Amino acid sequence: MKKLTLNRRRFIGTTAMAGAALASPAYLRRAAAQGSGEVNIWTYNDFVPESFKEQFEAETGIKVNIRLVDDQGKQFNLLAAEQPNPTVDIMTVAGHRFLQFIDSELLAPLDTDRLSNWGNINPTFSESDWATINGEKWGAPILSGMEVLAYNTELVSQEEAMTWDTLFSEKYSGQTAYIIQDMMSIVMLMMGYDGNMVAYMDDPAKAAAIVEEAKQFLIEKKPLVRKYYDSGAEVQQMFVNQDIALGHSWNGPAAALINDGFPLGMTIPNEGSYGFVYTYNVANNAPNVDNAYTFLDAILASPEIGAAMTKASGFISTYKDASNYLTDLEKKSTSFPEEQLANLQFFRAEANEMKYGLVDPAVEAVKAA
Amino acid sequence: MTYDASVRKDSDGLSRATGDRPFWGRLAGWGPYRAFAALVTASPRRQFVILATFPILWLLTQHLGPMLQMLRVSLVDAYPVAQDAPQAFTFDNYLRFFGDRIFWMPFFRTLTFAAVFTFCTLIITYPVAYFLARHVSRRNQMLMLLLLLIPFWVGEIVRTYAIMILLGNTGAVNLVLKWFGFIDRPIPFMYTSFSMGIGIVYLTALYMLLPLYSALEKLPKSYNEAAADLGAGAWTRFRRVTLPLTLEGISSGCTLVFLISTGFYATPVLLGGPSTTVFAETIAGFFHVAGDEWPTGAAFAVIMFVAALLITGVFQRLMKALRKGDTA
Amino acid sequence: MNRGNRIALACVYWAFVLYVFVPLILMILMGFKDSKFIGFPIRSWTLDWYTGVFSDAEVLYTFGYSVVIAVLSTLISVIVGTWIAVLLEGRRFWGRAVTFGLMVLPALVPGIISAIAFRIYARWLGIEPGMGAIVWAHAVHNVPFVSLVVMARLSTLPKSQIEAARDLGADPLIAFLRITLPYLVPAILGASVFCLLLSFDDFVRSFFLGGYEPTLPVLIFAMLRSGMSPEINAIATVALVLTAAIGIWAERFTRRTNKESQI
Repeated sequence: MKKLTLNRRRFIGTTAMAGAALASPAYLRRAAAQGSGEVNIWTYNDFVPESFKEQFEAETGIKVNIRLVDDQGKQFNLLAAEQPNPTVDIMTVAGHRFLQFIDSELLAPLDTDRLSNWGNINPTFSESDWATINGEKWGAPILSGMEVLAYNTELVSQEEAMTWDTLFSEKYSGQTAYIIQDMMSIVMLMMGYDGNMVAYMDDPAKAAAIVEEAKQFLIEKKPLVRKYYDSGAEVQQMFVNQDIALGHSWNGPAAALINDGFPLGMTIPNEGSYGFVYTYNVANNAPNVDNAYTFLDAILASPEIGAAMTKASGFISTYKDASNYLTDLEKKSTSFPEEQLANLQFFRAEANEMKYGLVDPAVEAVKAA
Repeated sequence: MTYDASVRKDSDGLSRATGDRPFWGRLAGWGPYRAFAALVTASPRRQFVILATFPILWLLTQHLGPMLQMLRVSLVDAYPVAQDAPQAFTFDNYLRFFGDRIFWMPFFRTLTFAAVFTFCTLIITYPVAYFLARHVSRRNQMLMLLLLLIPFWVGEIVRTYAIMILLGNTGAVNLVLKWFGFIDRPIPFMYTSFSMGIGIVYLTALYMLLPLYSALEKLPKSYNEAAADLGAGAWTRFRRVTLPLTLEGISSGCTLVFLISTGFYATPVLLGGPSTTVFAETIAGFFHVAGDEWPTGAAFAVIMFVAALLITGVFQRLMKALRKGDTA
Repeated sequence: MNRGNRIALACVYWAFVLYVFVPLILMILMGFKDSKFIGFPIRSWTLDWYTGVFSDAEVLYTFGYSVVIAVLSTLISVIVGTWIAVLLEGRRFWGRAVTFGLMVLPALVPGIISAIAFRIYARWLGIEPGMGAIVWAHAVHNVPFVSLVVMARLSTLPKSQIEAARDLGADPLIAFLRITLPYLVPAILGASVFCLLLSFDDFVRSFFLGGYEPTLPVLIFAMLRSGMSPEINAIATVALVLTAAIGIWAERFTRRTNKESQI
């Protein structure tokens, strides 16, 4: 018995030691960085290019700690749970989700005067109507995404893909997929309403009727859909497995498939679509505010950095001239013809409380139907 | 890890227990230890108090604490709140569930799915556990059991994507069927309750296998032989001897699997279809998508939890009655 | 036992092995695909994803970090879980049913709920997010599994042995250390494997309670956002091989020592 305990102890001991040995480089790194400042960032995988991070650390002596997140809701939950003393300095929030963060006092207004490179951002994004709330700017736009109709070019023609109706046609029954929350807004747009619901802020009855109509439409079309999905990886996998021939998608995941050589196309259909923008935001009560501004100014410095983010994520850069640093295929997968872009509008947050108060239960109802 | 080995060990441990080995003898005779032992074991009551204090403290602070926090959140009108904002006590979060029928569907669907999948897991793993415990030599049992455990070291998500590669329209199964000429066009396995079942049974098999295995492994072979001597056929022997004696293992395996499967989130979301939304998804929606509806999410979680507990309680009662009926 | 039955059962076993291993084999296979996405058809092959894992310091560090967390949390779970099992098994006392209920509680709460509950509770207690917090949450979550397994084993311990030891003059403490504990070793080892596995695979608790160092599942989730790439398959495969190697080593250890103690 004694031998067994001894062996077991040795076993656990060696395992722990092996683990500690593997772990030590980072601990050393961390200890070494403690002398100078830090900046703590919550962001998606590849949103901070590795080469930029290394250069920034070398030049400023500020250690960049990145915590990878995988959705907006989790960031919100985490930050809410950390209040009033968050560990984070910079977060990555989608523009149309600002309001929720602002209402819960999780974000600090952005002082653009402290960012000498603010002008490097394309004004389409930095001066857009959604970007200013309560008279303040709340984030620095870095990447832009949009709701597109993605289709397997071997199975679906571009002509068919120019209308959202194809997504609900009998022809592709059982071969379509969409994110149901996003689809609610698009269906409203298809029906000729304002999917942002800003137009109905004074008329809740009308708003409710519109959401009801969209909901009934999606329930009626439910037998035709293969899958209500949530994440980009899912829709990519469905295309690769040929479980679907076309589907609603964000442009980022679709672009990644195109860049990998998959026969995929995407359009902004004639009925129009919505775009959104990822921004870097400074957290309310952030522990290292000065470092956060230093970081933001540095990352906005060159279009090359913007291009690197686009390459990694498939989303469109908000930097002026970033496309100069992309390959032809990358350019193709991250740009749209002018006439299609004309149909695009941005998600807006003003009516979010009313909108999601109506849309969230409707989504539950569609799923339960 | 074979069981008979340690039983044997125990019986020879007995002769050593009195302290004939230097270490234990010396320990037992060592002054400070004697004082300590005397203090600790002075009376059965004190013994019990000392034994019980730490676990009770742990259970209250570690197991109950987080849940009470959750319960508290489910009873307020807003959470998390901005600093110094008012917060009021309310039952509305619970009433919302009972007031809105759209939540009932995923709720009952989850309970039904959990029950069906638990049953499937039982049917699938019972013969496996039986084979391992009764037909494999002791030497190999552990190895073959470990073999089955290996896939469980792979994370849930990676495994789930592997199942997509298996069942997709261009997945392995369809490729093989096509290659043999059984089908012309792929069978759409994915995003149905079938693909979801495949994924869930994969996750729960382990929790069923282990209790079943240990119940079957404890069962003396002689019982079956005796029944055979009395002329019982294989099926009768199984039904009259093996099954009743493993009811306890079945009951604990099913309870565990049922409770765990009511809480599954990622696998049903990834493998299920438009009509397989489970309640965990509804709950997560209040935390994720809507973001600011934690109290409702917490209340719904409490409802799910209580319902699952009630069902397993009834189930355990039934199994107990069944066991009594069989031995009587 | 009749032969036909035996063969049929063996077939079922191997069919089950096939069922659990085919997805695994697909996972390993996809790690060799020369593309950024997994799935058939595979047009060209590459070793880059696998070699990449070994040259990626972050992945290796994350693996080590996850192993350390798994081992530490398992140690805590095993001690606490066994202690609770000893308290509960074969004892009648006021409030036993409630104690039992509390013991199983963490195992029954859905992951996301328990993760957020822990996060709120950690904040309330002033525990900083990071390795300590993850170890703590994993340890608490795994205690019921240890307790249940140990209780099952404990219920088969012949009472006569303890009594005999007591008769021969051993005090309860020594009787426990010399008789009960050795008897529990197989159960404790089995439970440890279980705990290691649960901890190593856990995403939600690690995410909510972690700091800036991701555990392996957290890293994989983050990587998944840019697509299910063969790289993730390669990482999972390497992690599997490493942990399986540790597992087999541990099993051989116990088997050898069991054999020795039988002599």
